[in-house]
Amino acid sequence: MLKNYFKTAWRNLLNNKLFSFINIMGLALGMTCSLLIMLWVKDELAMDKFHANDSRLYRVMENQFFSGAISTFPSTPGIFAENVVKDIPEIQMASQFLWEEEPLFTVNDTFDKEKGRYVQKDFLKMFSFKLTKGDVATALARPDAVVLSKKLADKYFKGQDPMGKMIRIDNRENVIVTGVLDEIPKSSSLKFDFLMSFDLWAKQNTWAKDWGNNGPRCYVMLAPNTSLEKVNAKLKGYIKSKNKGSNVEVFLQNYGESYLYSNWEDGKPNGGRIEYVRIFSVVAIVILLIACINFMNLATARSLKRSREIGVRKVVGASKRQLIGQFIGESLLVSFMAMGAALLIVLFILPSFNALTDKQLALNFGDASFWSTIILLTLLTGIISGSYPALFMSSLKPIVVLKGALKINPSAAFFRKALVVFQFSLSIILILGMIVVYRQIDFIHNKNLGFAREDLLFIPLEGELAKNFPTFKQELLKQPGIKNVTSASSSPLEVGSSTQGVTWPGKDTTKLILFSSNPISYDYINTMGIQLVNGRDFSNGYGTDTLNYLVNEAAARKIGYKDPVGKELTMWGDKGTIIGVMKDFHHNSLHVPIEPLILRLVKKDWGYGSFVIIRSEAGKTKQALASMEKMVKQFNPGFPFRYNFTDQEISKTYKTEFTVNKLSRYFAFLAIFISCLGLFGLVTFTAEQRTKEIGVRKVLGASVPGILAMLSKDFLRLVLIAIVIASPLAWWAMHKWLQDFAYRIDIGWSVFVIADFAAIAIAMLTVSFQAVKAARANPVKSLRTE
Amino acid sequence: MIKISNLEKIYRTEDVETVALNKVSFDVKEGEFVAIMGPSGCGKSTLLNILGLLDDPDGGSFVFAGQEVAHYNERKRAGLRKQHIGFVFQSFNLIDELTVYENVELPLLYLKVGADERKKRVEEVLEKMQIMHRKNHFPQQLSGGQQQRVAVARAVVNRPRLILADEPTGNLDSINGNEVMQMLTELNDAGTTVIMVTHSEHDARYSHRIVRMLDGQVVLENVMI
Repeated sequence: MLKNYFKTAWRNLLNNKLFSFINIMGLALGMTCSLLIMLWVKDELAMDKFHANDSRLYRVMENQFFSGAISTFPSTPGIFAENVVKDIPEIQMASQFLWEEEPLFTVNDTFDKEKGRYVQKDFLKMFSFKLTKGDVATALARPDAVVLSKKLADKYFKGQDPMGKMIRIDNRENVIVTGVLDEIPKSSSLKFDFLMSFDLWAKQNTWAKDWGNNGPRCYVMLAPNTSLEKVNAKLKGYIKSKNKGSNVEVFLQNYGESYLYSNWEDGKPNGGRIEYVRIFSVVAIVILLIACINFMNLATARSLKRSREIGVRKVVGASKRQLIGQFIGESLLVSFMAMGAALLIVLFILPSFNALTDKQLALNFGDASFWSTIILLTLLTGIISGSYPALFMSSLKPIVVLKGALKINPSAAFFRKALVVFQFSLSIILILGMIVVYRQIDFIHNKNLGFAREDLLFIPLEGELAKNFPTFKQELLKQPGIKNVTSASSSPLEVGSSTQGVTWPGKDTTKLILFSSNPISYDYINTMGIQLVNGRDFSNGYGTDTLNYLVNEAAARKIGYKDPVGKELTMWGDKGTIIGVMKDFHHNSLHVPIEPLILRLVKKDWGYGSFVIIRSEAGKTKQALASMEKMVKQFNPGFPFRYNFTDQEISKTYKTEFTVNKLSRYFAFLAIFISCLGLFGLVTFTAEQRTKEIGVRKVLGASVPGILAMLSKDFLRLVLIAIVIASPLAWWAMHKWLQDFAYRIDIGWSVFVIADFAAIAIAMLTVSFQAVKAARANPVKSLRTE
Repeated sequence: MIKISNLEKIYRTEDVETVALNKVSFDVKEGEFVAIMGPSGCGKSTLLNILGLLDDPDGGSFVFAGQEVAHYNERKRAGLRKQHIGFVFQSFNLIDELTVYENVELPLLYLKVGADERKKRVEEVLEKMQIMHRKNHFPQQLSGGQQQRVAVARAVVNRPRLILADEPTGNLDSINGNEVMQMLTELNDAGTTVIMVTHSEHDARYSHRIVRMLDGQVVLENVMI
């Protein structure tokens, strides 16, 4: 019997090649989409979960209380780890963990800047990063230890055993290789090419030893069977106990969760990447569902052609159950074929998808759980999409179908129409989402940031350059292509440091106000292209400018001076005067509002900051780069030449959004495409149903456009209903998404007009393809077949 | 073998009620060949569908092989149908996707007959219907006469006690029509009961008895001599 079913199904597929192709492709595309998203979601969920001590590893988070709001950061005082492990016995181990640093490595004639982290001695005991050489227990014990990746070991010690060898760091310190890292698992969000002792870094950054300063991250490992609540209770007042007057509280977040749950609002977790995991999971289900519905519609459309077979099978004794089994079996066959096609498509597009999502996803053919997921997904798809057609077709009455008088009852028609409305609603939501995401990204890309991001480059201020910056600046300005040069403590992308150490006459001392601060050198305003609304820039001509300040409009509002220029301001104990007010510019990502900002000149003993910022003359980027390289090599021969374009770096900070932008476009396109296949099926079905009616109308004088309108009207109505359902849902979803941006577009009515018009146009195009055929058919023929 | 009494069938749409069968009663004995005649719309096909357990009556009694089957559910009716009844239609109703052999084999599959036995019986009946040489062809590759022979082969392959034929020669020319009638007669001679709906007086003459219907009622029964 199975053979008979299979033969019938197979020959049916072969005899209706176009229909079969549309059907299989529709499902295959839906499955492709789901598979890609499943791979991505699985990868995201597995992030950082490979550590043996996963359940005991925590990240220390800090709630900072300013101006009535709570800001949450993963930063701690640099002496937190060494103290907390002594003070709180439940914390078994702890390690500070510095942001990514890029010191200069020198071994004989080989030198380069390498990216890595400064950590403390227990780091490798807490986390499961394996070593191919050395011992995790002792590798980081000495203060001059360095653990290298295999890549770096090969780069600096090719063909030799690197263990015990010396590396010079930043032309300042010598460190000894005490271990070589095994490949860091793909599922680790922490990536580094070296690990060095945190103490080495802290030696140069004494500020980190102060309980009042926060910066480095800290990870802790709890003793087995420790209650998190108990530890958190102990931690709550811990910093205050060390630093009276501190307004920060610390607590622990599970390390394995910190990758997905990284956003905080009012001290509580407020999503993060988990939101994209959720959104895309829903998208995967939705697209697969659209594909299943499409299959249902096509299959029921085909049922007219199969009705005789159903009648005959019933007459010769097939039971309803047997017929349901047969048709579910057929849809399973199609589903398996579609899965085969989907796997091929995934294999083909996975490299591009990986590039897009910055992942290294792979189909794991050797893995049993992979196959069980695939089989489960296929069975589920087959059963869902086959269920309705099977029920519908198996309940056809043999005497009716064998007489060729099949008429579809109104409830079945209603159900099918509801499916189309559902499908189109989902598609319209995706289209609307796509447009909003596109516009927001475009907005970010083109938003006036308050400074001129084009032709603006920055390079690290390091080595000899840091000592001889004024000469370097003078020489560089003489080179072709260079317009302005300045230096600053923060890059143009982000002013990272902030302070509450700002006072002025009449300040309400009960309020804690946080100001972003960025020590700079001369010509900052010109180089950045920032507008001054009042006052003047720092200038060489005034000897006292090192005690003066520039504030932005947000800071001026916080301070409360009506006319701030010439008024007194004290920062870190330095009493000075506000000499100018800058128009607000975005000194951080558009995700956050513009914070109050104070600029001051660097003091002599501070150095000149961390970055050289250079504006090239418009259209002369190449010349400017050549000039910069020449000068850097001349001034800093021991360092490689590295540079960044500000506009490109800004784009990089919105990488997730750009990825979402692209993905949403693909998914929306797929959804509407698959929906149209379903609509095509329904129109085919209706046109077949109404052949006689169309014939009679034509005989009685109806025109082709008239019939076209008649056939299209019903479908237009379905799409309109879908628009009514989808619009508010899409608005709500996109409104929520936009809340993540402090600066965002309004979802205007034009978005709806575009999306709705697109949906109507695409639907009508699909409908008319089949409707024209039906309308133009020779009535004599259609009436005779009746 | 069949005893129906006061059988009723009414078709209802929103506004119209059509009485298709109005208290129809008659008997068919085992081994009989009965023709049902009457103008279009007189209810003869409705009657045949009820006799074939494809449709259920709205009233009256229908005893088939000693069992009251008027109110059998779909599953029970399907069971009886595949066991005891063979159908021959005017429009052949072969499955396009199956070959001649597979079409004929179908009823045996639903009866769960073993593979060897199936092969034997299908080939036997194809030989008998002189269509063996076309067994691997698909229906659309056959002439009308050949298709109807396949349909008859399919109707008899499960050795039914009753064959119901709904205008079996309606789509055939006279030569092919006569051949089909000859086959039905031979089957009847071998002991199978045959009930046939027809418009053709010529075909009706092959039967033992003609039941004439008008407006949902039996108006006359002629016994052929």
